[in-house]
Amino acid sequence: MSPSSDISLTEEQVSGYVIAATREVFSTMIMMDVVDDFPLKEPVSRFKCSITGMVGFAGTYSGVISIHCPVSLALKITSNMLGVDCDEVNEDLNDAIGEIANMVGGSVKQVLSKGGLDVKLSIPTVISGEDYTVNSLSDNDCVVVPFTVEDHTMLVGLTLKKED
Amino acid sequence: MANILIVDDSSTMRKIISRSLRQAGLTVDEIYEAGDGIEGLGVIASGKSIQLILSDINMPNMDGLEFVKAVRANGNSTPIVMITTEGGEEIIAEAMSSGASDSIKKPFTPDQLQEKLGGLI
Repeated sequence: MSPSSDISLTEEQVSGYVIAATREVFSTMIMMDVVDDFPLKEPVSRFKCSITGMVGFAGTYSGVISIHCPVSLALKITSNMLGVDCDEVNEDLNDAIGEIANMVGGSVKQVLSKGGLDVKLSIPTVISGEDYTVNSLSDNDCVVVPFTVEDHTMLVGLTLKKED
Repeated sequence: MANILIVDDSSTMRKIISRSLRQAGLTVDEIYEAGDGIEGLGVIASGKSIQLILSDINMPNMDGLEFVKAVRANGNSTPIVMITTEGGEEIIAEAMSSGASDSIKKPFTPDQLQEKLGGLI
């Protein structure tokens, strides 16, 4: 599953990387089933009572991997990861969602990068709130994969550009 | 029994690694934690007895590659296993040439930890 260095990735390829990486992280580290429902029916940029984790990468490919999920789901995810009940938005919640973005981003990077040194990952960024919007100001290709996790919907997005 | 130092900027990941070590049945005594390479060097410099170091690569302030080089530059030969999302061959090769003993890719299972670490502690 290695992309050609000369050919642009198709939407199906990119969504496939996102789905495979997300499934691997959730099945291995979180012990929760995720069911993908690609493609997304309508673009989403506004989130309510949600949390968003993002990791950027730069180099041969540049872009951002982002995970958006409702706080109620994020609390379950964090509880599963830590093995203790988590019932409020706090540093544990932010750290857990950031680490998921980091692991999904790392898995996607492994597919995009030849050996690991030509693409650099950023430290995760996490935002949360009652009502916020997330917009990309770049014209990079963007794929968003909706997942169903225990009756909740989680979105995993990947904006991607192959640098010259 | 082994004392282990976990160096990772994610507190969640440090907790998961700690729990997974015990789930894997590894004989662990004290677990020390550090949020980046600089903190990790501080724990080592404090004189604590440490038999194994587990380190992330992608961290702020001092990343895992710099951390490994700094530990070895101090003449410390404690085994260091990189636990990282950075699974690329070139990065792992750089870590190994810097003095790392082995690597484990995140995400991981307790069985994978046991397989990699069982012979070290």
